[in-house]
Amino acid sequence: MLKMTHLAKAFRTEVVETYALRDFSIHVRTGEFVAVTGPSGSGKTTFLNIAGLLETPTGGSYELDGEDVSRLGDDARSRIRNGKIGFIFQAFNLIPDLNIYDNVDVPLRYRKMSGAERKKRIGEALERVGLSARLRHYPAELSGGQQQRVAIARALAGSPKLLLADEPTGNLDSQMARAVMQLLEEIHRDGATIVMVTHDPELAARAQRNVHVIDGQVVDLGEAPTLRMNVAANA
Amino acid sequence: MDIAPIIAALKRQKTAAALIAIEIALSCAIICNVLFLITHRLERSHVPSGVVEDELVYIRTAGIGASGGDDPMVRAREDRAALASIPGVKSATIINQIPFGHSSWNTGVKLAADQQQTSANVGAYYADEHMLDSFGVKLIAGRQFTSDEFLNFDDVLKGKSDPPSSMIITKTLARRLFGDENAIGKNIYLDDTKPTRVIGIVEHLIRPNFGSDLIDADSSMILPVRLSLGYGQFVLRTDPGNRDAVIAAARKKLKEVSPNRIVLDAKTLESARSDYFKQDRVMAGLLVAVVISLLIVTALGIVGLASFWVQRRRRQIGIRRALGATRRQILHYFQTENFLIVTVGIVIGMGAAYAISGWLMHQYELPRLPLYYLPVGAVALWLLGQLSVLAPALRAASVPPATATRTV
Repeated sequence: MLKMTHLAKAFRTEVVETYALRDFSIHVRTGEFVAVTGPSGSGKTTFLNIAGLLETPTGGSYELDGEDVSRLGDDARSRIRNGKIGFIFQAFNLIPDLNIYDNVDVPLRYRKMSGAERKKRIGEALERVGLSARLRHYPAELSGGQQQRVAIARALAGSPKLLLADEPTGNLDSQMARAVMQLLEEIHRDGATIVMVTHDPELAARAQRNVHVIDGQVVDLGEAPTLRMNVAANA
Repeated sequence: MDIAPIIAALKRQKTAAALIAIEIALSCAIICNVLFLITHRLERSHVPSGVVEDELVYIRTAGIGASGGDDPMVRAREDRAALASIPGVKSATIINQIPFGHSSWNTGVKLAADQQQTSANVGAYYADEHMLDSFGVKLIAGRQFTSDEFLNFDDVLKGKSDPPSSMIITKTLARRLFGDENAIGKNIYLDDTKPTRVIGIVEHLIRPNFGSDLIDADSSMILPVRLSLGYGQFVLRTDPGNRDAVIAAARKKLKEVSPNRIVLDAKTLESARSDYFKQDRVMAGLLVAVVISLLIVTALGIVGLASFWVQRRRRQIGIRRALGATRRQILHYFQTENFLIVTVGIVIGMGAAYAISGWLMHQYELPRLPLYYLPVGAVALWLLGQLSVLAPALRAASVPPATATRTV
């Protein structure tokens, strides 16, 4: 599903060149739930931005769903983001001026989907996250956990092939975080490919596979079944 | 672009959107009316005079006959003949008034002797037998005066003669008085005694002073009355390139005939028109400045609000980009949003424009704002809105999608 090979991302000024990612290689298979961990400034967000086609790499190659996307133009990247990728952000990133229904509708409208199809998908997505009774509420009228569930509904409504989650529970208390995490696990069980960036080892342990990033490079790949089991036992 | 979510978002920004809509409404109302006033002023300044303006010069004199004791009627004819003899002068006449001139002779006319109210107020040209040729007015129906129809002004003034038996009127006056009927042969009363018969119709002949009503401006009649010098001025017809030379020669010739004469004015008729409409041009210029200023202020308002919104919604734009919006879709979002706000302003502004027009009609007797000014104003403001929002919208479109993942 996602394959980065010797990927690099450098930020250049006139005097200095800083690498956020260097010789970064990762392969996420379809249906996997991968957690990307690492300390602040390690390059996790840059990886997520490139994986989500929000930024372009300065070197290496990136294949998404079998297509080389590392050299695509802006419009093509927008279309792939809209059609194949669902985002879940730490800060929820709902549009405050739109109600819940319209928020979930945003990416579907960019896809030029028919009104009836959009309505069906929005209904199903909000039903799935348990917020179908709050269609006309605005984000400010919801709790953090509810807002994140709306964001998940927005990501799911487009039936993405890849779900990218950036610290999805970072702004939530533990109870809400647990609910959101359970939701992600359900979504994964239904066949979704999920890549989750987190600095929380407990959350990472609930993923199928962990990828640790330090100084812009992947330093450790491996499954964490024990920890996952422990976390599950504690939940 | 779907407008429903844009309207939904605007409902949450009512105050700012309403302020811009009101600004647009005021601009629309004022600009429609001011454009109409400018056009009206310019139309007025291009009103056809009916005379060959580029061939005419006029000379106003004073002091004639004061010292010599000559018969002013005789002197007038001799002076006219002397001026007509100047090389290059095609024709010369002595007349009581000229288009765009300083003095204006007007009278009320009736269609029946016992009529209480006059039918129209008419500019009255007292003309000798050379007037039609000298002015170059176009006779479109009927005939010119015959020599036996001319009266002497002194006799008319002293009540020694009846009103003229015949007159020539403008097409506009003919239509005004007689509608679609043929005016030739119809009677018009200048007083309560005897009628004056219409014997000819000219295409146009503007009266010297007129207001905003261009039908009234072209309501003139020509009466066969020979003037004495105290009441007339000379009009000479020559080739356009000869006018300055003819003016100089005329000054010299008049001095030769009578050294006591003072030439008050000797100008081309084109300069008379230019002087006459000077205020209109100044006013039109001021109004143009008002329109431009208003457009600039409106544009700045739109640019300011759009820039503020782009800045404030930078993260939101980044989110939309992350969710799949192309740059073009972001650009269209802001353009559509602007279009909607401007449209609301225009709809309100059109009503206000019509209300202001009604007030101007009532206060200043101006004509009603023609309805076609409203769509013209609307298109102008739509264009202004789109032009003003373009730079902020392009800035919005350039917001990178990665903005969505930045926490600050």
